[in-house]
Amino acid sequence: MSQAASHPDRGPAIPPGSPTAARRAKTGLGDLALGIMARFGAASIIFMLTALLFVLFTAALPSVRQFGANFFISTQWRVNTLEKPAIGPDGRVLKEDGETVMTTIPPAFGALPTIYGTAVTSFIALVVAVPLSFGAAIFIVRVAPRWKIAGPISFLIELLAAIPSIAYGLWGLYVLAPFLRDWVAPTLQKVLGDIPAFRWMFFETITIAGRLQERPIAFTGRDMLCGGLILAIMILPIITAVARDVLRAVPRAQIEGSLALGATWWQSCWGMLRYARAGLFGAVVLGLARAAGETMAITMVIGNNNQIAASPFAPAQTMASLLASEFREAAGLHRAALLEVALVLLIMSLIFNVVARWLFVGGQSRSAAAH
Amino acid sequence: MPRLLATNAVLTTLVAITSATATFADIKLNGAGASFPAPLYRFWVSEYQKAHPNVKIDYQSIGSGGGIKGITDKTIDFGATDAPLNKKEIEGLGGADKIIQFPLIIGGVVPAYNLPGVDKDLNFSGEVLAKIFLGEIATWNDPEIVALNPEAKLPASPITPAWRSDGSGTTYVFSSYLATQYSAFESTVGTGKQIRFPLGQGGKGNEGVAAIIKQTPGSIGYIEHNFATANRISYGAVRNAAGNFIKATPANMSVAGEASADSLKGDVLAANIWNQPGAEVYPISAFSYIILYKDLGNLASIEEAKALTAFFRWALSAGQDRAGSMDYAPLSAGVRSRVEASLDRLTFKGASLK
Repeated sequence: MSQAASHPDRGPAIPPGSPTAARRAKTGLGDLALGIMARFGAASIIFMLTALLFVLFTAALPSVRQFGANFFISTQWRVNTLEKPAIGPDGRVLKEDGETVMTTIPPAFGALPTIYGTAVTSFIALVVAVPLSFGAAIFIVRVAPRWKIAGPISFLIELLAAIPSIAYGLWGLYVLAPFLRDWVAPTLQKVLGDIPAFRWMFFETITIAGRLQERPIAFTGRDMLCGGLILAIMILPIITAVARDVLRAVPRAQIEGSLALGATWWQSCWGMLRYARAGLFGAVVLGLARAAGETMAITMVIGNNNQIAASPFAPAQTMASLLASEFREAAGLHRAALLEVALVLLIMSLIFNVVARWLFVGGQSRSAAAH
Repeated sequence: MPRLLATNAVLTTLVAITSATATFADIKLNGAGASFPAPLYRFWVSEYQKAHPNVKIDYQSIGSGGGIKGITDKTIDFGATDAPLNKKEIEGLGGADKIIQFPLIIGGVVPAYNLPGVDKDLNFSGEVLAKIFLGEIATWNDPEIVALNPEAKLPASPITPAWRSDGSGTTYVFSSYLATQYSAFESTVGTGKQIRFPLGQGGKGNEGVAAIIKQTPGSIGYIEHNFATANRISYGAVRNAAGNFIKATPANMSVAGEASADSLKGDVLAANIWNQPGAEVYPISAFSYIILYKDLGNLASIEEAKALTAFFRWALSAGQDRAGSMDYAPLSAGVRSRVEASLDRLTFKGASLK
């Protein structure tokens, strides 16, 4: 091991034969061991991620081959085989020797309802959580230091992240859902129910007995709104933490400059937000990734009905809750379809995290370059 | 040298003692499958162990599909399933002559509901239940429900059906029964362990459906009978083939299995016991089955094979008497003798276990 040249990790050049070189040579084995462990740790993480993607893709292959791109636009999710009376060319039921001819409709899988459920609940979560998070972040960065409560407030918000998601699920099922069902939904119906523009919120169209029928939605409290609200509470900590760090990185010169130019406190805060917008957007995307992947809490409050409905008071299914519900007994093509949904979820989370990181780091380097 | 000899002697003795006790060691058997009979099977195992302390049987409630997969892969000694094996599954196990499948207990599915203000037990018919779950009957005061319950004051509130979002034998039994009662049910929604109802809410497991029912006024769902009684959820009576409204009890579910004794032939015993004739029969009853290889050669020793067979014989006799205390319905005598005849045909690497 040549110590003659200087190296950032090993410090200045050490002439061979000197006492320092002798001392360093004795710990060379420690260097080697730690070096191998560090490299092995990094490699194993990359290996695990690649292996996960590979295993999911191979297991999902039967479904990918069978449904192709149709998987993402089909709204059917039928695990069992249907036997329907065959309809002849004249539009009437086919009969052969007096017996009705039956056609067999095989299982079909399509991920669109779950993608829709994930999108809507995540959207509701962001709409509720982002203003609260940004407000909390501004408070921590601009107001709390004066009163020395920045630390305790940050700690309390991070405590939300420590609560197990099953606890959120139980709270949602036994506290939030009844509250939404008995107070929020009926009140909204009283206020907005008669306005035709809001009809979509209180009525749903379902296929019953072969025909589309419009039915009033029976409020159960287990719907996309409840799911979205639970998710909002769960993503508050991560968005607040990242936003707080991003806002702290805004240079004081920027804030003081805006105040010197006569901005009010609110205007200087707004300037801060605009300055850090790339990083804040990254925080939002991180929260979105967390919301999309949440499983246990959502499965208990979403209603587990694999459908597309316009109203937030209608039950739905997210990708994660679909997997939690159906995976245990799944076999064959059903299992491959579920794994394809899992693969989509994984790739989506990876993309969100990569985008968030790019925005976050890009925002910081941009602000560093400008000064 | 003497020290080495002494240590050697001590060690050899210890090894001899431990290996000697190993021959009297526990017989470990494991099974997995349906979650419906899991509480009963675990109760039986603990009761059986009181009399046979060296036989340790472990039952994992991982679902019927998991049980079938486990026995196909030979990772478990016996599998339990609510839905009998279909042709593909039998082929996967090596063919109908390589396995035995037998009913071990009877269960039933009950319609449980939450209707505040109505404290009488409601009457349902299969057709009305099918229409409710298809959405064709939308409110509680629908004329068809009122016709079955003339004295109950039914509100005009909407009905929210609650069903299983996961694959389950309960769904299989309930949908199969409804398909016999209402012709449109089979073609609209079909039968099977997991089906897609047009409206309502899904819950995971009997607990999930029970939670929805308890939490949602105006909801109705289907759950296992023993789960309803254990958790004190009100459920209704169902009209059977003879026209009587029967509320599920172990007695009227056992009777449902009686008539099928003659149709149990061969060694892959299966029968649909819903919608059976008889005045006191509960119409939504079903067997829960055990799957074994006919030749138990995959077990470690003949002692294990004998222990497993002895356990099932105990379960078929003394176990059945104790099943009623846990609200499961025992098999009738005719069915029991059929099952015993199949158990007599079990072998271990060719040697009979009788």
